[in-house]
Amino acid sequence: MLRFFILFVVLLAVLFGLELTPWAQDWFVVPWTTALAHLSTSIVTLFDGSVVSAGKIMRSTTNGFAVSIEAGCNGVEATLVLLAAMLAFPAPWKHKFLGLVIGIVAVQLLNILRVISLFYLGQWNYDVFEWAHLYVWQALIMLDVLVVWLIWVRRVPRIDDAGIPPGAPPALAAG
Amino acid sequence: MSEGDFREQPSGRTALPFLKSPLTRFVAAAVAWLPVTFGAWYLLAPILLWPVRLLVQLVARFGFGDLVRGIDPGGSTLSFITTLKPGEGVAAGVVSVDVNMLVYAFGMPFFAALTLAAREGRWWRTLALGYAVIVPFVAWGVLADFLKGIAIAAPPAIASQTNFTQWQRELIAFAYQFGSLILPAVVPAVLWVLLHRAFLERLRARGSG
Repeated sequence: MLRFFILFVVLLAVLFGLELTPWAQDWFVVPWTTALAHLSTSIVTLFDGSVVSAGKIMRSTTNGFAVSIEAGCNGVEATLVLLAAMLAFPAPWKHKFLGLVIGIVAVQLLNILRVISLFYLGQWNYDVFEWAHLYVWQALIMLDVLVVWLIWVRRVPRIDDAGIPPGAPPALAAG
Repeated sequence: MSEGDFREQPSGRTALPFLKSPLTRFVAAAVAWLPVTFGAWYLLAPILLWPVRLLVQLVARFGFGDLVRGIDPGGSTLSFITTLKPGEGVAAGVVSVDVNMLVYAFGMPFFAALTLAAREGRWWRTLALGYAVIVPFVAWGVLADFLKGIAIAAPPAIASQTNFTQWQRELIAFAYQFGSLILPAVVPAVLWVLLHRAFLERLRARGSG
Protein backbone atom coordinates (compact mmCIF):
# COMPACT_ATOMS: atom_id res chain seq x y z
CA MET A 1 0.00 0.00 0.00
CA LEU A 2 2.90 2.36 0.79
CA ARG A 3 4.42 1.77 -2.66
CA PHE A 4 1.02 2.45 -4.25
CA PHE A 5 0.52 5.61 -2.23
CA ILE A 6 3.94 7.09 -3.03
CA LEU A 7 3.68 6.18 -6.71
CA PHE A 8 0.17 7.63 -6.87
CA VAL A 9 1.24 10.96 -5.36
CA VAL A 10 4.29 11.26 -7.62
CA LEU A 11 2.32 10.33 -10.75
CA LEU A 12 -0.48 12.72 -9.89
CA ALA A 13 1.90 15.61 -9.28
CA VAL A 14 3.75 14.92 -12.55
CA LEU A 15 0.57 14.49 -14.60
CA PHE A 16 -0.95 17.62 -13.12
CA GLY A 17 2.25 19.57 -13.76
CA LEU A 18 2.21 18.40 -17.37
CA GLU A 19 -1.44 19.41 -17.70
CA LEU A 20 -0.57 22.96 -16.72
CA THR A 21 2.06 23.37 -19.43
CA PRO A 22 1.07 25.64 -22.33
CA TRP A 23 1.59 22.75 -24.74
CA ALA A 24 -0.89 20.49 -22.92
CA GLN A 25 -3.34 23.35 -22.54
CA ASP A 26 -3.22 24.25 -26.25
CA TRP A 27 -3.22 20.72 -27.64
CA PHE A 28 -5.33 18.83 -25.17
CA VAL A 29 -7.18 20.74 -22.42
CA VAL A 30 -8.68 23.54 -24.53
CA PRO A 31 -9.80 21.26 -27.42
CA TRP A 32 -11.14 18.76 -24.90
CA THR A 33 -13.11 21.44 -23.03
CA THR A 34 -14.47 22.83 -26.29
CA ALA A 35 -15.57 19.34 -27.32
CA LEU A 36 -17.19 18.84 -23.91
CA ALA A 37 -19.19 22.06 -24.28
CA HIS A 38 -20.22 21.06 -27.79
CA LEU A 39 -21.23 17.53 -26.73
CA SER A 40 -23.16 18.78 -23.70
CA THR A 41 -24.97 21.29 -25.90
CA SER A 42 -25.77 18.60 -28.47
CA ILE A 43 -27.34 16.46 -25.76
CA VAL A 44 -29.31 19.39 -24.33
CA THR A 45 -30.67 20.38 -27.74
CA LEU A 46 -32.47 17.02 -27.88
CA PHE A 47 -35.01 18.54 -25.46
CA ASP A 48 -34.12 22.25 -25.41
CA GLY A 49 -33.42 23.92 -28.74
CA SER A 50 -32.52 27.26 -27.21
CA VAL A 51 -28.98 26.33 -26.21
CA VAL A 52 -25.84 27.07 -28.21
CA SER A 53 -22.15 26.58 -27.58
CA ALA A 54 -19.20 28.74 -28.54
CA GLY A 55 -15.78 27.47 -27.51
CA LYS A 56 -16.01 26.36 -23.89
CA ILE A 57 -19.22 28.34 -23.28
CA MET A 58 -22.80 27.01 -23.18
CA ARG A 59 -25.43 29.71 -23.55
CA SER A 60 -29.19 29.92 -23.46
CA THR A 61 -30.57 32.03 -26.31
CA THR A 62 -33.79 32.48 -24.30
CA ASN A 63 -32.46 34.31 -21.25
CA GLY A 64 -28.77 34.83 -22.08
CA PHE A 65 -27.55 32.70 -19.15
CA ALA A 66 -24.21 31.10 -19.93
CA VAL A 67 -21.70 28.81 -18.25
CA SER A 68 -18.03 28.67 -19.09
CA ILE A 69 -16.43 25.27 -18.53
CA GLU A 70 -13.24 26.03 -16.67
CA ALA A 71 -10.43 23.95 -15.17
CA GLY A 72 -11.85 21.64 -12.55
CA CYS A 73 -15.16 21.31 -14.37
CA ASN A 74 -13.88 19.71 -17.57
CA GLY A 75 -13.19 16.35 -15.92
CA VAL A 76 -9.51 16.48 -16.84
CA GLU A 77 -8.29 16.53 -13.24
CA ALA A 78 -10.65 13.69 -12.27
CA THR A 79 -9.29 11.70 -15.20
CA LEU A 80 -5.72 12.38 -14.10
CA VAL A 81 -6.54 11.13 -10.60
CA LEU A 82 -7.99 7.92 -12.05
CA LEU A 83 -5.02 7.56 -14.37
CA ALA A 84 -2.53 7.94 -11.51
CA ALA A 85 -4.51 5.55 -9.27
CA MET A 86 -4.69 2.80 -11.91
CA LEU A 87 -1.10 3.20 -13.05
CA ALA A 88 0.17 3.14 -9.46
CA PHE A 89 -1.78 0.04 -8.47
CA PRO A 90 -0.02 -3.28 -9.16
CA ALA A 91 -1.99 -4.91 -11.98
CA PRO A 92 -1.32 -6.36 -15.44
CA TRP A 93 -1.02 -3.70 -18.15
CA LYS A 94 -3.91 -5.18 -20.10
CA HIS A 95 -6.18 -4.63 -17.08
CA LYS A 96 -4.83 -1.14 -16.60
CA PHE A 97 -5.54 -0.21 -20.19
CA LEU A 98 -9.04 -1.68 -20.16
CA GLY A 99 -9.79 -0.11 -16.77
CA LEU A 100 -8.62 3.29 -17.97
CA VAL A 101 -10.73 3.21 -21.13
CA ILE A 102 -13.92 2.21 -19.30
CA GLY A 103 -13.11 4.38 -16.27
CA ILE A 104 -12.47 7.53 -18.29
CA VAL A 105 -15.76 7.03 -20.13
CA ALA A 106 -17.58 6.60 -16.80
CA VAL A 107 -16.01 9.74 -15.32
CA GLN A 108 -16.69 11.82 -18.42
CA LEU A 109 -20.31 10.67 -18.66
CA LEU A 110 -20.96 11.85 -15.12
CA ASN A 111 -19.09 15.06 -15.88
CA ILE A 112 -21.41 15.76 -18.81
CA LEU A 113 -24.31 15.32 -16.38
CA ARG A 114 -22.57 17.80 -14.07
CA VAL A 115 -22.19 20.41 -16.82
CA ILE A 116 -25.79 20.06 -17.98
CA SER A 117 -27.22 20.07 -14.44
CA LEU A 118 -25.21 23.17 -13.53
CA PHE A 119 -26.37 24.91 -16.68
CA TYR A 120 -30.00 24.51 -15.61
CA LEU A 121 -29.41 25.00 -11.89
CA GLY A 122 -27.81 28.36 -12.67
CA GLN A 123 -30.90 29.47 -14.52
CA TRP A 124 -33.14 28.33 -11.69
CA ASN A 125 -31.34 29.51 -8.54
CA TYR A 126 -27.84 30.99 -8.35
CA ASP A 127 -27.28 30.00 -4.70
CA VAL A 128 -28.10 26.37 -5.45
CA PHE A 129 -25.85 26.59 -8.51
CA GLU A 130 -22.96 27.84 -6.38
CA TRP A 131 -23.45 25.07 -3.83
CA ALA A 132 -23.66 22.37 -6.47
CA HIS A 133 -20.77 23.83 -8.43
CA LEU A 134 -18.31 24.49 -5.62
CA TYR A 135 -19.03 21.64 -3.25
CA VAL A 136 -21.51 18.91 -4.16
CA TRP A 137 -20.48 18.04 -7.70
CA GLN A 138 -16.80 18.13 -6.75
CA ALA A 139 -17.47 15.41 -4.18
CA LEU A 140 -19.71 13.41 -6.53
CA ILE A 141 -17.13 13.36 -9.31
CA MET A 142 -14.44 12.18 -6.90
CA LEU A 143 -16.86 9.57 -5.54
CA ASP A 144 -17.30 8.43 -9.14
CA VAL A 145 -13.52 8.15 -9.57
CA LEU A 146 -13.25 6.23 -6.29
CA VAL A 147 -16.05 3.84 -7.21
CA VAL A 148 -14.61 3.20 -10.67
CA TRP A 149 -11.25 2.48 -9.07
CA LEU A 150 -12.82 0.17 -6.45
CA ILE A 151 -14.70 -1.78 -9.13
CA TRP A 152 -11.50 -2.08 -11.12
CA VAL A 153 -9.44 -3.13 -8.09
CA ARG A 154 -11.98 -5.89 -7.33
CA ARG A 155 -11.55 -7.31 -10.80
CA VAL A 156 -7.80 -7.16 -11.37
CA PRO A 157 -5.76 -10.26 -10.49
CA ARG A 158 -3.63 -9.91 -7.39
CA ILE A 159 0.00 -9.01 -7.96
CA ASP A 160 2.43 -8.38 -5.13
CA ASP A 161 4.59 -5.30 -4.89
CA ALA A 162 7.36 -6.97 -6.91
CA GLY A 163 4.95 -7.44 -9.79
CA ILE A 164 4.68 -11.21 -9.32
CA PRO A 165 1.24 -12.84 -9.30
CA PRO A 166 0.58 -15.11 -6.28
CA GLY A 167 0.96 -18.79 -7.07
CA ALA A 168 3.54 -18.11 -9.77
CA PRO A 169 6.11 -20.89 -10.37
CA PRO A 170 9.15 -20.58 -8.06
CA ALA A 171 11.48 -19.96 -11.01
CA LEU A 172 9.34 -16.98 -12.08
CA ALA A 173 9.01 -15.79 -8.51
CA ALA A 174 12.77 -16.05 -8.01
CA GLY A 175 13.55 -14.31 -11.27
CA MET B 1 -28.69 4.75 7.55
CA SER B 2 -28.84 1.45 9.36
CA GLU B 3 -27.83 -2.11 8.71
CA GLY B 4 -31.53 -2.94 8.53
CA ASP B 5 -31.82 -1.05 5.27
CA PHE B 6 -29.93 -3.81 3.54
CA ARG B 7 -31.18 -6.74 5.64
CA GLU B 8 -31.61 -9.96 3.76
CA GLN B 9 -35.06 -11.46 3.30
CA PRO B 10 -35.88 -14.98 4.57
CA SER B 11 -35.64 -16.30 1.04
CA GLY B 12 -32.00 -15.20 0.96
CA ARG B 13 -32.74 -12.31 -1.36
CA THR B 14 -32.38 -8.68 -0.35
CA ALA B 15 -35.38 -6.36 -0.51
CA LEU B 16 -33.53 -4.51 -3.27
CA PRO B 17 -31.57 -7.13 -5.24
CA PHE B 18 -29.11 -4.60 -6.70
CA LEU B 19 -28.02 -3.77 -3.15
CA LYS B 20 -26.68 -7.28 -2.66
CA SER B 21 -23.18 -6.30 -3.68
CA PRO B 22 -21.21 -4.78 -0.79
CA LEU B 23 -19.78 -2.19 -3.17
CA THR B 24 -23.25 -1.14 -4.32
CA ARG B 25 -24.36 -0.96 -0.69
CA PHE B 26 -21.35 1.21 0.10
CA VAL B 27 -22.01 3.59 -2.81
CA ALA B 28 -25.72 3.85 -1.97
CA ALA B 29 -24.89 4.55 1.66
CA ALA B 30 -22.26 7.15 0.71
CA VAL B 31 -24.71 8.98 -1.56
CA ALA B 32 -27.32 8.86 1.21
CA TRP B 33 -24.89 10.22 3.77
CA LEU B 34 -23.64 13.10 1.59
CA PRO B 35 -26.63 15.44 2.15
CA VAL B 36 -26.44 14.78 5.90
CA THR B 37 -22.70 15.39 6.19
CA PHE B 38 -22.80 18.42 3.89
CA GLY B 39 -25.64 19.93 5.94
CA ALA B 40 -23.80 19.32 9.22
CA TRP B 41 -20.56 20.68 7.72
CA TYR B 42 -22.22 23.87 6.55
CA LEU B 43 -23.95 24.46 9.89
CA LEU B 44 -20.82 23.70 11.90
CA ALA B 45 -18.42 25.47 9.52
CA PRO B 46 -17.42 28.23 11.97
CA ILE B 47 -16.34 25.55 14.47
CA LEU B 48 -14.87 23.08 11.98
CA LEU B 49 -12.86 25.78 10.23
CA TRP B 50 -11.58 27.39 13.40
CA PRO B 51 -8.36 25.29 13.43
CA VAL B 52 -7.86 26.16 9.75
CA ARG B 53 -8.05 29.84 10.64
CA LEU B 54 -5.54 29.39 13.46
CA LEU B 55 -3.15 27.52 11.18
CA VAL B 56 -3.49 30.11 8.43
CA GLN B 57 -2.87 32.93 10.93
CA LEU B 58 0.19 31.12 12.26
CA VAL B 59 1.70 30.55 8.81
CA ALA B 60 0.81 34.07 7.67
CA ARG B 61 2.41 35.61 10.73
CA PHE B 62 5.67 33.68 10.54
CA GLY B 63 5.88 33.07 6.81
CA PHE B 64 4.42 36.22 5.29
CA GLY B 65 4.60 38.70 8.16
CA ASP B 66 5.86 41.39 5.80
CA LEU B 67 2.79 41.01 3.57
CA VAL B 68 -0.03 40.33 6.04
CA ARG B 69 -1.01 42.96 8.59
CA GLY B 70 -3.91 40.96 9.96
CA ILE B 71 -6.61 38.43 9.19
CA ASP B 72 -10.26 39.21 9.89
CA PRO B 73 -12.57 36.21 10.20
CA GLY B 74 -16.06 36.61 8.82
CA GLY B 75 -17.90 33.32 9.15
CA SER B 76 -16.32 30.95 6.69
CA THR B 77 -14.46 33.77 4.89
CA LEU B 78 -11.05 35.09 5.85
CA SER B 79 -10.12 38.66 4.97
CA PHE B 80 -6.36 39.09 4.61
CA ILE B 81 -5.44 42.70 5.38
CA THR B 82 -2.15 43.22 3.60
CA THR B 83 0.63 45.76 3.90
CA LEU B 84 0.34 46.46 0.16
CA LYS B 85 -0.86 49.81 -1.16
CA PRO B 86 -3.59 50.02 -3.80
CA GLY B 87 -1.17 51.78 -6.14
CA GLU B 88 0.84 54.91 -6.81
CA GLY B 89 -1.01 58.12 -6.26
CA VAL B 90 -3.34 56.51 -3.74
CA ALA B 91 -2.59 58.14 -0.44
CA ALA B 92 -4.62 55.95 1.87
CA GLY B 93 -5.96 52.46 2.06
CA VAL B 94 -4.55 48.97 1.98
CA VAL B 95 -5.23 45.95 -0.16
CA SER B 96 -7.34 43.17 1.35
CA VAL B 97 -8.05 39.74 -0.10
CA ASP B 98 -11.10 37.64 0.84
CA VAL B 99 -10.86 33.85 0.71
CA ASN B 100 -13.83 31.51 1.16
CA MET B 101 -12.52 28.60 3.22
CA LEU B 102 -15.47 26.36 2.33
CA VAL B 103 -14.17 26.05 -1.24
CA TYR B 104 -11.17 24.14 0.11
CA ALA B 105 -12.98 22.28 2.89
CA PHE B 106 -15.67 20.22 1.14
CA GLY B 107 -13.41 17.21 1.62
CA MET B 108 -14.53 17.12 5.27
CA PRO B 109 -18.17 16.12 4.56
CA PHE B 110 -17.00 13.94 1.67
CA PHE B 111 -14.63 12.01 3.92
CA ALA B 112 -17.31 11.76 6.62
CA ALA B 113 -19.84 10.32 4.14
CA LEU B 114 -17.34 7.72 2.90
CA THR B 115 -16.37 6.75 6.45
CA LEU B 116 -19.94 6.47 7.68
CA ALA B 117 -20.91 4.48 4.59
CA ALA B 118 -18.13 1.95 5.17
CA ARG B 119 -19.51 1.25 8.68
CA GLU B 120 -16.20 0.08 10.07
CA GLY B 121 -15.53 -0.09 13.80
CA ARG B 122 -14.26 2.98 15.63
CA TRP B 123 -15.60 5.19 12.89
CA TRP B 124 -15.58 8.21 15.19
CA ARG B 125 -11.81 7.82 15.60
CA THR B 126 -11.44 7.61 11.85
CA LEU B 127 -13.54 10.76 11.47
CA ALA B 128 -11.38 12.61 13.99
CA LEU B 129 -8.15 11.44 12.36
CA GLY B 130 -9.43 12.35 8.89
CA TYR B 131 -10.46 15.78 10.06
CA ALA B 132 -7.04 16.38 11.62
CA VAL B 133 -5.29 15.38 8.40
CA ILE B 134 -7.59 17.41 6.12
CA VAL B 135 -7.23 20.67 8.11
CA PRO B 136 -3.65 21.46 6.93
CA PHE B 137 -4.63 20.85 3.32
CA VAL B 138 -7.52 23.29 3.66
CA ALA B 139 -5.03 25.80 5.09
CA TRP B 140 -2.81 25.14 2.06
CA GLY B 141 -5.67 26.01 -0.30
CA VAL B 142 -6.59 29.17 1.61
CA LEU B 143 -3.01 30.45 1.78
CA ALA B 144 -2.31 29.63 -1.86
CA ASP B 145 -5.52 31.45 -2.84
CA PHE B 146 -4.40 34.51 -0.89
CA LEU B 147 -0.91 34.45 -2.41
CA LYS B 148 -2.38 34.01 -5.90
CA GLY B 149 -4.59 37.00 -5.18
CA ILE B 150 -1.72 39.36 -4.42
CA ALA B 151 1.05 37.94 -6.63
CA ILE B 152 -0.78 36.90 -9.81
CA ALA B 153 -4.38 38.12 -9.95
CA ALA B 154 -3.66 41.61 -8.59
CA PRO B 155 -2.88 44.52 -10.94
CA PRO B 156 0.86 44.94 -11.66
CA ALA B 157 1.06 48.00 -9.41
CA ILE B 158 0.09 45.82 -6.45
CA ALA B 159 1.74 42.56 -7.48
CA SER B 160 5.09 44.30 -7.93
CA GLN B 161 5.10 45.32 -4.25
CA THR B 162 5.23 41.66 -3.19
CA ASN B 163 8.76 41.35 -4.62
CA PHE B 164 8.12 37.73 -5.58
CA THR B 165 10.52 36.46 -8.23
CA GLN B 166 9.25 34.82 -11.42
CA TRP B 167 9.89 31.28 -10.17
CA GLN B 168 8.16 32.11 -6.89
CA ARG B 169 5.11 33.24 -8.87
CA GLU B 170 5.23 29.98 -10.82
CA LEU B 171 5.40 28.08 -7.56
CA ILE B 172 2.44 30.03 -6.17
CA ALA B 173 0.45 29.34 -9.34
CA PHE B 174 1.17 25.61 -9.08
CA ALA B 175 0.39 25.54 -5.34
CA TYR B 176 -2.89 27.34 -5.99
CA GLN B 177 -3.93 25.08 -8.87
CA PHE B 178 -2.91 21.93 -7.00
CA GLY B 179 -4.54 23.21 -3.81
CA SER B 180 -7.82 24.06 -5.49
CA LEU B 181 -8.23 21.48 -8.27
CA ILE B 182 -6.62 18.36 -6.79
CA LEU B 183 -6.16 18.40 -3.02
CA PRO B 184 -9.68 19.23 -1.75
CA ALA B 185 -11.22 16.19 -3.45
CA VAL B 186 -8.26 13.80 -3.62
CA VAL B 187 -7.02 14.06 -0.01
CA PRO B 188 -10.26 12.74 1.55
CA ALA B 189 -10.52 9.93 -1.02
CA VAL B 190 -6.89 8.82 -0.55
CA LEU B 191 -7.19 9.17 3.20
CA TRP B 192 -10.31 7.04 3.19
CA VAL B 193 -8.52 4.33 1.18
CA LEU B 194 -5.55 4.36 3.55
CA LEU B 195 -7.77 4.17 6.64
CA HIS B 196 -10.06 1.46 5.27
CA ARG B 197 -7.61 -1.15 4.07
CA ALA B 198 -9.45 -3.98 5.83
CA PHE B 199 -12.71 -2.89 4.18
CA LEU B 200 -11.00 -2.81 0.80
CA GLU B 201 -9.46 -6.23 1.35
CA ARG B 202 -12.88 -7.69 2.14
CA LEU B 203 -14.30 -5.96 -0.91
CA ARG B 204 -11.52 -7.38 -3.06
CA ALA B 205 -11.85 -10.86 -1.62
CA ARG B 206 -15.54 -10.92 -2.50
CA GLY B 207 -14.90 -9.45 -5.92
CA SER B 208 -12.34 -12.02 -6.89
CA GLY B 209 -14.20 -14.89 -5.25
